[in-house]
This record gives sequence, structure tokens and C-alpha cells, in this order.
Amino acid sequence: MTTVDSRMTPADSTSQRTRLSPFMRRLLRSQQFGLVGVIVALLIALSLLAGSHIDAATGQTVNNFLNSHTLIQTATDASFFAIMAVGATIVIISGGIDLSVGSVYALAGVSMGLILRVAAPGGGVGAVLLAFIVCVAVGIAAGALNGAMVVGLRVHPFIITLGSMWILRGIAFVASKAESILLPESLTRFAKSPLGLGAALYPVPMLCMLVISVLGAVYLQRTVMGRHVFALGGNAEASRFSGLRLGRIQIGVYVLAGLTAGLAAFLGSGFYGSVSSGDANGYELYVIASAVVGGARLSGGRGSAINAMLGAVLIVLIRQSIRTLHLDQNYEWIIVGCAIVVAVVLDQASARFAARRLAQGGG
Amino acid sequence: MILRPILRPILRGAPFAVLLAAMVASGCPKKTGPTATGEGSGGAVTASGAKPIRIAMIAKSSTNPVFLSARRGAETAAKDLSGRTGVPIEVIWLTPPQEDGQIQAQRIAQAVNEGANAILISCSDAGKVTGAINDAVARGVPVMTFDSDAAQSKRFSYYGVDDKQLGEDVMGELVKLLGGKGRVAILAGNQNAPNLRRRVEGAKAEAAKHHGIQIIGTFYHAETPQDAAAEVIRVDNAYPDIKGWAMVGGWALFTKTLLTDLDPKKVKLVAVDALPTELPYVEKGLAPVLLAQSSYLWGNVGVTKIIDKIFYKKDVPEVVSMDPVRVTSETLGSWARQLRQWGFPDVPEEYLKLK
Repeated sequence: MTTVDSRMTPADSTSQRTRLSPFMRRLLRSQQFGLVGVIVALLIALSLLAGSHIDAATGQTVNNFLNSHTLIQTATDASFFAIMAVGATIVIISGGIDLSVGSVYALAGVSMGLILRVAAPGGGVGAVLLAFIVCVAVGIAAGALNGAMVVGLRVHPFIITLGSMWILRGIAFVASKAESILLPESLTRFAKSPLGLGAALYPVPMLCMLVISVLGAVYLQRTVMGRHVFALGGNAEASRFSGLRLGRIQIGVYVLAGLTAGLAAFLGSGFYGSVSSGDANGYELYVIASAVVGGARLSGGRGSAINAMLGAVLIVLIRQSIRTLHLDQNYEWIIVGCAIVVAVVLDQASARFAARRLAQGGG
Repeated sequence: MILRPILRPILRGAPFAVLLAAMVASGCPKKTGPTATGEGSGGAVTASGAKPIRIAMIAKSSTNPVFLSARRGAETAAKDLSGRTGVPIEVIWLTPPQEDGQIQAQRIAQAVNEGANAILISCSDAGKVTGAINDAVARGVPVMTFDSDAAQSKRFSYYGVDDKQLGEDVMGELVKLLGGKGRVAILAGNQNAPNLRRRVEGAKAEAAKHHGIQIIGTFYHAETPQDAAAEVIRVDNAYPDIKGWAMVGGWALFTKTLLTDLDPKKVKLVAVDALPTELPYVEKGLAPVLLAQSSYLWGNVGVTKIIDKIFYKKDVPEVVSMDPVRVTSETLGSWARQLRQWGFPDVPEEYLKLK
């Protein structure tokens, strides 16, 4: 996978070519290498420090962290953020921001619950398909609305999506009459399908997260539309002069953000078995944090779908760490907040350092 | 130079590892309840030979004082029962900072994965946690609910008030204070919490029995004291003829602002809960009646019932009913002393001296 924003100087490249095999060069230059390294280091540290317990069902001694249930649960917890983070990253790369993804999630879920209550109360495969269609349709519609308002009203996307964040959640609140709506069992069976792994192991959200992240990466890096998104975020004026239809691209990225929020709602709501207007409240900040920790630049032009997923996994992993290590969880917000700020500051410092080296002629 | 492509992305993720390492190294406070028995030991056998019992406690929100009181009750019960049973009992506090049923479901799974022997939970959203409770039970971990139930789940018992009845009682007390007539409002907290919704239903049902009582509205808000008090003031300004508030939770009275912003001669409040910060409202006559849930007992009785179930193998009723305590100016002293006995440090001294 190629980097989108390589700051390697010719001298660096030459130096590497002389010392490393092409595979190693590609591996080391990949954006994912560092995040994966940190995640693996955390996994190892947690496995060593977590202690163990005797499983109530099997009577066997089990590591408190390094067991299939905890690992899949951690990935599942990350998956709903991560799926939304893929869409949010695409928006951020384009130079925009979407604060409404949590509300889109809630509205898609509530719409699904209300429609299923009327159209498919008995559940079955039809209910799963209908739920999927409703969530995707609501997500796309909400995204298209955001995009159209950003383009049509020429108001900063922060303001537009701040407004739609409240509007969409308000619609969900009014429509649901503040009730928590139970979903048909078939939806939960789908989202919690063990896929042969055994009881109480639910890999579907994790697999969906991987698939959607890969699709996002392919879209961004292997398609013309994806390159247009980078071009728009990197330099909107240059993109305009080169003939790109910026309005269409902008609407497109918000549609994708809405789509991923709808997909996350479908999976998340099915997994937990109910929907309410309060769902995913505040999740937009975790989603944006995931994108930023994954290296997305808020001014646009840089970011990666895979890294956004890894960013989500890293944030959830650190939250999990606090509990696995039995640290006082009241410190969770402080720790995650500090880590995000420090990560971005270091990333920017690194970028400035690289730019200075480039200006000085490399080396 | 060869290190640059390696270091840049690592730097991006490094703060997490550094912070975590720093937390561990610098002794970031651990959850050391009075009965903690070696963090991370899980179900391992202790030096005394007894296998510790770990109870995960998941309340709705760690910023709500009633749940902090419940935690204190749980930890005290764990300490007492550890002495009585000879088995170390540990309460693991897994309450999210804000109400979120989805996070609660995740924490149920986490508790099971890390070897908890039982779970005690107050459900923010029964629908969201029912699946996780059933999974926990299927994996051999019994679950008990308190305060807010998940009645459709496989939990073995629920401890708390009858919420609909409590709502009726709140409105009934208010109707008595107002002499059966006047415009009133209901302060309702989180609109998604099933127990609060039932209290609101009860309050409305009771009001419907009295022709002189008119409900101007049911007002929801984020369950923080400031949000609740601000909502009361907003509504009071918008409806100057409002005579009474039926508060199905005590949030607004956890601040002092209503003591000065509302006139006891014009408006009366009846609220659920009677924590130390609410007692001046009784003394000043603004809230002549508070219906206290013994939130300390949520944790205390919850842990006791869990130990009855998993240690003593006793039968525990499916519903263990809690009766609210009526706190008025006559009972203020005895209630204040009860709160102090339960470990509340901020009970005003003057109330402790009352009869």
C-alpha cells in the first residue's frame, strides 16, 4: 500500500534502497506500521500484566486479557466507531468535518426499529434485509442532506453538521417518543452470529469493520474518486482550476460518512438488540479522534481508512487497558484526551521537521 | 534516516503506550475497595486459601451521587461479608461516566471475560443490556439488577422500588401539599431510562385522579444537577403560575440554586431521593416531603443477596422490594443520622442534632 503523503527525501530513499529489501521498505514506509506496532506492544503488555482467573463455565485458568472473548469483545467495541471513522476520515481528507455521525446512527437505528415494528414484527431474514436497507437509506439521505447544505448554503461544514447533529437526534427523539424499541431476534442472531467460533464469540462486527476499512482504503487509494477527495482536501483552488466538480465530490464524501454511520447503526443496533434516540450520543468525538489518531489531517489532504480503523482500535484498547489493569476508570477521559492531544502534537511536530529538512535539501 | 519512516507512525501511537506505562508506573489510582484482594488476581486462590468472590457493579453513571452512595453500600457489605464468610469479597466498579446502555452491555461482557463471579447492575436501557445479561448468565455468571430492572432478561433478582407506585406517591404528596388544585410540572431526567418513564406514568396516573391538578408538561434533561436545576428555572420562568413540581429524581436538588431561585410561598417541590445536599430544601419548606430511596442499600442489599445466592446457595426472590422513606421536617434528624451512619461525610451538623 502506498503512502498518500510521503515526505521521504531522495536521499532517504537512496539510503533505504541500499540497506533494505523492497518488501521491508514497503512495510516500513506503510502508514500502518507504527500503529500496528504500538497496538501489538500494548497487546503483549496487557497479556503479561492482566493476571488470570478461573472460567466459571469451563473451570480452566484463563488470562484476563489474552482470551478469545476479550479480544473479540475489544474488536467489537471498536468496530462501531471504526466503521463510522472510515466515513469520517474520507470527509476529513476532503477538508470537511462531520459532527453528525452519532445522530445519523441514532436516527438510522430508530427508523429501522419503527419500520420493523410495523412491517416485520415477526423477524426472519426479511427483517434483516429490510433493516439493512432502512439503515443504509437513512444514512445516505442524512449524508446527502449534510453535503447538499454544505455545498448549497456555503456554510462551514462544522456549523452545518453541528446543526444536523441536533436536528437528526431530535427527529429520532420525537419519532421514537423517547422509547427504547426492541428489535426482532433475527437481527441480533445475525449480528451475533458465532460463525462457528463457539458460544458467546461474536465476530461479525469485527469482520464488517475489516471489510469496510479495506473497501475504504481501496476507494481512497485505488479509485479516481478517491484521488479527487485527496485533491480537494489538499488544495481546493487547484482542484477547481483543474476542472474537478468540487460540489459533487463534497456531497459524495458526506454521503459516504452517512452510509458508514447507517451501516454501524445496523450492526450496533442488531448486536445490542434495541434502539433509542440516545444511542451513540457523543460518539462523533470518538470517531473524529480515531481518524486523527490514525493520522488524518483536519485541514484536509491526508488520511487513511485503515489507519482510522487502527486509531479506533487503539482508543478502545486503551480504554480496555484501564479496566484490564484495574486502574481507576475515572481517569479514562483524562488519559484518552491527553493521548489524542499528544499524538496530534507529535505528528505535527514530525511533519514540520520533515518539511524543514525538505526545504534544506534533504538528508 | 532509515528510521524516519518507522519512527513517524510510531510517534503517533506512542503517547498511548507512554501514558499507559506512566499510569502503571506512577501508581495511577487503582480500584482499591476495602476488600480488594490483589488486583488482577482474578479468580486465583489467595494466600489464605479462599478463592475470592468478585462482584462487578455497573450503575448508570459514576457522576450521580446516588450511585456513589450505592457503591459505598456495596463495598461495606463486601467488607462485612468477607469477615463473616471468611472469603475475600471484592466489588469491581465498572460504572460508565455517563449513562449509556451500550457501554453497560460492553462492561457486562468485560466483567465476564475477566472472571467476575457475579454482576450487579442498574440498567440505563433495559433493551440494550438484556442480551449481554443473558450471555453472562449463559456463561455461568449470575446477574442481579437494582434501581432499574431488565425484567425480560435472565437476571435472577431485582432490588428496588416499584417505580410506578413511587411516581404515584410523589404526585400524591404534591397534590396533598397543594390542597388538590394547581398547575404542576414533572421533572423527568433521562427520557430513555425505563424506571423513570414508569415513575412519570405513575405521576400522571395519580394526577389524573384529581380534577384540580393540571400538568403543564413533563420535562427531560441530562441527569446532572446543573442541567436539572437550569431546566426547572427555565420552566418556572415560562410558567409563572406554576404551583408545584413532581420530581421523579432528585437531581435538581443536588444544587443549592433553587433554594434562592424559588419561593417556598409560591411553589412546592416533592422529589425522589434525600441525599445530604437535598436536606436544606426540607428545612426551608421548599420541598416539605422527599421520598428517599435508600440508595446505599442498593449496593448493600444487592451484594448481600448475591452472596446469599452464590455462596450460601439460598433462594433469592425474583423481586426484592424497597420501600421509599418519607423524609419531612419531623424526620429530618433521624434521616440525617441514618445518612451519616451510611458513611455520608457531608451531612450538615445542625441536622444531626435534630430530634
